[in-house]
Amino acid sequence: MFVTRAVIVVVILLAVALAGRLYRAWRTRLQDERPAHPLIPASLRAGAHRTWVIFTSPYCATCGPVEARLRASDPAARVVKVDATRETQLADAFSIRSAPTVLLADSDGYVTARLVGAGAVDDHLRQAPVQG
Amino acid sequence: MPTDLVGFMMDAMPTPAPIDPRGPRFNQAVLAVALLTGFLADWRPVVPLFALVLLAGAAFGPRYGPFLALYAKVVRPRLGPPAELEDPRPPRFASALGVVVLTAGALAFAAGHPGIGWGLALVVATLAGLSATTGICVGCELYLVVARRRKVVAG
Repeated sequence: MFVTRAVIVVVILLAVALAGRLYRAWRTRLQDERPAHPLIPASLRAGAHRTWVIFTSPYCATCGPVEARLRASDPAARVVKVDATRETQLADAFSIRSAPTVLLADSDGYVTARLVGAGAVDDHLRQAPVQG
Repeated sequence: MPTDLVGFMMDAMPTPAPIDPRGPRFNQAVLAVALLTGFLADWRPVVPLFALVLLAGAAFGPRYGPFLALYAKVVRPRLGPPAELEDPRPPRFASALGVVVLTAGALAFAAGHPGIGWGLALVVATLAGLSATTGICVGCELYLVVARRRKVVAG
């Protein structure tokens, strides 16, 4: 009986480990996706030269710190938070499947960077420091 | 330049103070280990016991959850500050779901159905282990669904 229980416990541990790997792979795939984006709406850009759009969700733990880092790293840019659970049409248009997903738009609304997850934002800011 | 909010903070409901997300994950790790160990040893009291442990934290707040308090008083002082904070409502909702399922498991034991009791406990153990090790919190995701229906948002 103990052996049976031990096997069940091992199966559960393996399932948890497998789920963790699949989750990380999924996050990586999201990061690697390059969907064809529409233009960022002018109402979000409000004439800014550069706009960071942070798609958040109500339970997003890292969205606040991401916003703070973007504001600190790029004070000249406009930073907009969009609740993806409320602005579902906007989120669908930009293929948002995870929060935070951060889009960087130029003055014409073209998306020049798509970052999925707080780590990707950190990596982007480290590799491509904002120039003025 | 100030941050604009779109579809955000539309409710008058105040947002609770954010918490260190490592606290709930520590709690979930303890829960998973305890339930799996209890299952190995066929020690059934672990199920109602941890239903009460989760109930204390979910109903009255982290200060009253024994392992959340243990984390706050013993573990956290030995760690650096958290890299981020999180809304406490999703993990509390997840704990409440755990209370429901573990209570159902305890009732199944009492009714003479240990298979059902352990089955429910192992579901909780698996989800708690998943959340503790990967950060995938199924209960928190369910909170999102409920929050959307009730139009509750958090900062």
